[in-house]
Amino acid sequence: MKKINFILNGEKRQIYVEASDILLEVLRQKMGLTSPKCGCDNGDCGACTIILNGKSVRSCLIFAIEIDGMEILTVEGLSKNGMTPLQESLLTHNSFQCGYCAPGMILSATELLKVNPKPSVEEIKECIAGNLCRCTGYQPIIDAITDLTK
Amino acid sequence: MPIAHDFDYIKPATMEQTIELLNQENKRISILAGGTDLCNMLKNGFRVPDLMIDIKALHELNVIKDNNTDIFIGALVTFSELINSDIVKEKLYILWEAAHKVASQGVRNRATMIGNICSAVACMDSAATLLVHNASVHVKSVNGERKIPVNEWFVDNKKTACLNNELVTGVTLEIPQKKYASAYEKQMRYAGEDLSQSNVGILVQEDKTYRIAFGAVGPTPKRSLKIEHFLQGKELTDSIIAEARQMIETVIAPITDVRSSKEYRMQMTKVMFERGLRTAIERLNNLI
Amino acid sequence: MENYKYIGQSVQKIDGKEKVTGAALYTDDLEFGPDLLYAEIVESTHAHAFIKNIDTSRAEEIPDVLAVVTGKDFPFKFGLYMKDRFIFAQDRVRFYGEQVAAVIARTPKAAKLGAKNIRVNYQPIDAVIKQLDSIKEDAELLHPDLENYVHVPWFFPKDKTNIAHHRKIRKGDMDKAFSEADHIFEEQYEVPRYSHCAIEPHAAVAKFDLSGRLTVWASSQSPHTQRHIFAEALSFMGIRHNDVRVIAPHVGGGFGSKAGVTMEIIAAAIATKYPGHPIKIIWNREREFFNTYQRPGVITKLKMGVKNDGTITALKHELFWDAGAYVEYAANVVNAVGLSAMGPYKVDNVQIDSYCIYTNLPPTGPYRGFGYSEFLFGLESLITQVAHKLNIDPVKIRRINAIKEGDTLAYGAHMNPNGLHQCIDKVAKEIEWDKKESSPHKNKVIGKGFSLFWKAPAMPPNASSACFLKFNEDASINILVSGMDIGQGYLTVMAQIAGEILSINPNKIRVENPDTDRNPYEWQTVASHITWSCGNAVKNAALNAKNQILELVARCKYLPIDTLFLEDEKVKCTTKANFELDLKDFIITGLQMEDGTFKGGPIIASGTFMPQFTSTKANPETGQGGHPNVHYTVGAAALKLEIDTETGKMKILKAVEAIDGGKILNPSLAKGQIIGGLLQGISTVLYEDMRFDHRGKMLNPNFTDYKIPTALDIPDEIVPILVEVAQPDGPFGARGIGEHPMIPAAPMIANAIEDALGIRIKSMPITAEKLCLAILNSSKTNINNK
Ligand code: FES
Ligand code: FES
Repeated sequence: MKKINFILNGEKRQIYVEASDILLEVLRQKMGLTSPKCGCDNGDCGACTIILNGKSVRSCLIFAIEIDGMEILTVEGLSKNGMTPLQESLLTHNSFQCGYCAPGMILSATELLKVNPKPSVEEIKECIAGNLCRCTGYQPIIDAITDLTK
Repeated sequence: MPIAHDFDYIKPATMEQTIELLNQENKRISILAGGTDLCNMLKNGFRVPDLMIDIKALHELNVIKDNNTDIFIGALVTFSELINSDIVKEKLYILWEAAHKVASQGVRNRATMIGNICSAVACMDSAATLLVHNASVHVKSVNGERKIPVNEWFVDNKKTACLNNELVTGVTLEIPQKKYASAYEKQMRYAGEDLSQSNVGILVQEDKTYRIAFGAVGPTPKRSLKIEHFLQGKELTDSIIAEARQMIETVIAPITDVRSSKEYRMQMTKVMFERGLRTAIERLNNLI
Repeated sequence: MENYKYIGQSVQKIDGKEKVTGAALYTDDLEFGPDLLYAEIVESTHAHAFIKNIDTSRAEEIPDVLAVVTGKDFPFKFGLYMKDRFIFAQDRVRFYGEQVAAVIARTPKAAKLGAKNIRVNYQPIDAVIKQLDSIKEDAELLHPDLENYVHVPWFFPKDKTNIAHHRKIRKGDMDKAFSEADHIFEEQYEVPRYSHCAIEPHAAVAKFDLSGRLTVWASSQSPHTQRHIFAEALSFMGIRHNDVRVIAPHVGGGFGSKAGVTMEIIAAAIATKYPGHPIKIIWNREREFFNTYQRPGVITKLKMGVKNDGTITALKHELFWDAGAYVEYAANVVNAVGLSAMGPYKVDNVQIDSYCIYTNLPPTGPYRGFGYSEFLFGLESLITQVAHKLNIDPVKIRRINAIKEGDTLAYGAHMNPNGLHQCIDKVAKEIEWDKKESSPHKNKVIGKGFSLFWKAPAMPPNASSACFLKFNEDASINILVSGMDIGQGYLTVMAQIAGEILSINPNKIRVENPDTDRNPYEWQTVASHITWSCGNAVKNAALNAKNQILELVARCKYLPIDTLFLEDEKVKCTTKANFELDLKDFIITGLQMEDGTFKGGPIIASGTFMPQFTSTKANPETGQGGHPNVHYTVGAAALKLEIDTETGKMKILKAVEAIDGGKILNPSLAKGQIIGGLLQGISTVLYEDMRFDHRGKMLNPNFTDYKIPTALDIPDEIVPILVEVAQPDGPFGARGIGEHPMIPAAPMIANAIEDALGIRIKSMPITAEKLCLAILNSSKTNINNK
């Protein structure tokens, strides 16, 4: 067990982890944050996406022990002070169906909009291409993001 | 899925310490940089290290350095950083193109090019760049530093010339001193994230010399000197291209697996060769 | 059409906010405290083998491993329509990956390690991988005692064969019809297996508490059906239905995979062996592929008789289904297709034989489309081929034959009101069917393809729905139903129905996924029937509530009830403009009379619905005499496909789909179904390609090699068209549309390919690779022919 310090959704946290602990599992089981989901456990689906030091990453491919000193944002943190315009837009477009892909999708798009507030449709598609959604056909999600750029 | 076995973790602060740690014969050691491959291998039990060495504190490895005649890319540089690098976009366009086609943003934000080179799976996206830019891979150990030329680096599928006690610190890519342009073509089952079923790298120079690399159509990626010699000095007319395209049948030996049949790999390699070649020529012409 | 306030509006999903804020909890997100245990299963490494013995001793010694269970612990069968499965394999395994044991442990790690340390000794038997081999005389029998299996009365298993069910339809005079036809066409088509690929894998947690009550939390489309099956399976322990409680939180996608019962029964069963603790079992992505249900594969043989003018006179349709090792649910797919494989056409002479065949591959079952995508691939391909042969436009031949209200169905009943011809016209117009198009790019060609589709809910004749509705002090409402919102927007639509009748904004109505202890009965959320069936139950409950309210007001205010109505949370009166009573002032507390007493009390209502005209009683030899299906939903679709002739890569430039959903209750959600469903269909044609080795092991049980589309792989444009010919017995005239959008994808792509290249592909998937090799082949034959 090793002690690690990190910032989770704006709050300083300190926990003990094993070297073999996967970040996704630590977030869900030890930190009680369930918005990162496990869809494939293999880096293929993007459901486990979190933002680590400002970049979207797959928490199923990260060892918890690595994140000592880093900063993590999940959708719980993103929504702390109410919904972001991105979330509002996704909501009014009825973009999601089952919603399982939503947290990952939202964080990928959040990263994009931060560096590129007016992305083209191609850039939006490229950005969320790593987030698999089986329900929506993506179009309602793309529309909601595109609307924000108008 | 949890990792069923336990191991130690160290994040050394210096290079010396790292290569000291690596020099333990009785231990199975895994190096952690981006971890996107390693993590899965541990979950599946394909690797059971005693020790994992996290090299992310070795900041000197997080560089893209332009030395004019060559460019050094350090072991901690991620694919996203390659995409965002002006040096790469300007001088290593083939790598810039290939990096876009590696997995997805969430993976590219972590995965490193050196990790890709070390995994050495046949379908890797970095190989074409290494081959057409005459790369050499830098490795370090307690015995000193070696630079391994790319044609010696890939030993077999998933096997490289790197020794157990060596750390790959980066790779040097040679920059042609004449005008040149390049292109990367990747066979994928669809436009989204996919491992390449085959790939082609092309580099053309204004003196009509050509470098052609084929990936995933043999146990290791390789250049085709035969086709390069054939094209050498020639103006690329339709009929020359068609002839070179036909030669591919004699230089690659693709196999059938769950991702593609050998027939389709062959066809796609031919198509990609032609398209890549034409794209590279067009890019070269646009430079002038 | 009537003027509705909430019906027909694109109301925002009532669970939308939960989903975009990460608040929505799915099964694996629930907290169970520090006593939660974990289970891991041991899987068969043979497709067909006898189990000689299982050595659990090493696993039992691992620290934190608490118990190991095997088939011995649960020696009884279960199943939805046919009891042919065990919770764990007994003396033999029938597919690669079948569960043979489970390890219960304190931690996931220990469970995984425990499972790795269980040794199973097998004696392999010949595995039957292909369905046509499985029906050969000398084929190894998967279920030698099939004759003793319990099943619904409308199944007809064949003793001492691998045929679990044979649905026959005989209508008209086939010999005569074929002899009178001007042309006869015969073709064979093949559709392989597919996987649902909901992004949330199956998950279940079960606790058998020390008082003997079983609670199961599961990602489920069928909480009541699961409760029923658990209770039946565990009845030997004295467990009754009300001792079993199923709680179903949000579901991360279903598509049929979470209907009926699959891995949840493992959780339920092992909990009874280790009482007092919640035990969690999560399917990983691999198992999600090979140990839930897969979509069955099918080989279809079609023979069609046609007149010179394009009229279809006769259709013979044989379907050989690769249904897998257990068919407790799949046999009903086979049955449903048997009833409907005539397609959305008027055909007077029909012969259908739909065979449910056991193979040593994973069990199959319900998948969005329930067999219709599979058989329509052949039928809609053939009709286009026929059109070309007769030199009739493919849309015209469909117009000539498309079914109309009142036409006789294959099983003798009559077709419901529908807008199929409207759908055809609208789609043809939107895709500019008459306009030939060519690509500006070298090496690229463009083709257009057309397809019709239909589908009826497949369910027992007496499948039912129920609803409780209760008012709160502020006139907000809680509705308790037991359908599942698996993303389609069911909860929202139920709120719209109640809101319309009670004149209350749906955003003041809370409808949530169920708990079988609290919520009333629902059969299952499958078959695209829930809007129709549960919608009727909700409507009945709302009408019942409305009636109670108006009666109370009439009684206390001395007004004729037929002058009273509800508007914006108030009771108003048609004859007294100033009369107005706020619901919130009396909906719980009652109305105060002049003498100070109160009348009324909390308004609580209920409603149920069950179709009263359906029956599966029919002649087994002809299929005639019953009324198995409640109605069909129909539609038409077309697309414009660009093909790179050198690589075989295809790009959909435009897709159009029209569907007649009766009254569309929520256009935004309906369009969402079309866009999402169509892509799922397209994916089965262009990308998904399930592979098995000769031993029956699935080779690509992961998203690395079983490709489902990303945002980069969608059509350039999808135009959804909503046609509204009311369903007389539907809530506000609605009928279901959930499954239908994906059904026409395969034939319309195959038809577009033929249009562009003259190449007919008769097997799915149609990947770029398959098409490219077909193009190479055809150019070779063209050269040879020269
Ligand atoms: S769970 Fe991490 S990418 Fe799928
Ligand atoms: S909404 Fe269901 S996976 Fe995206």
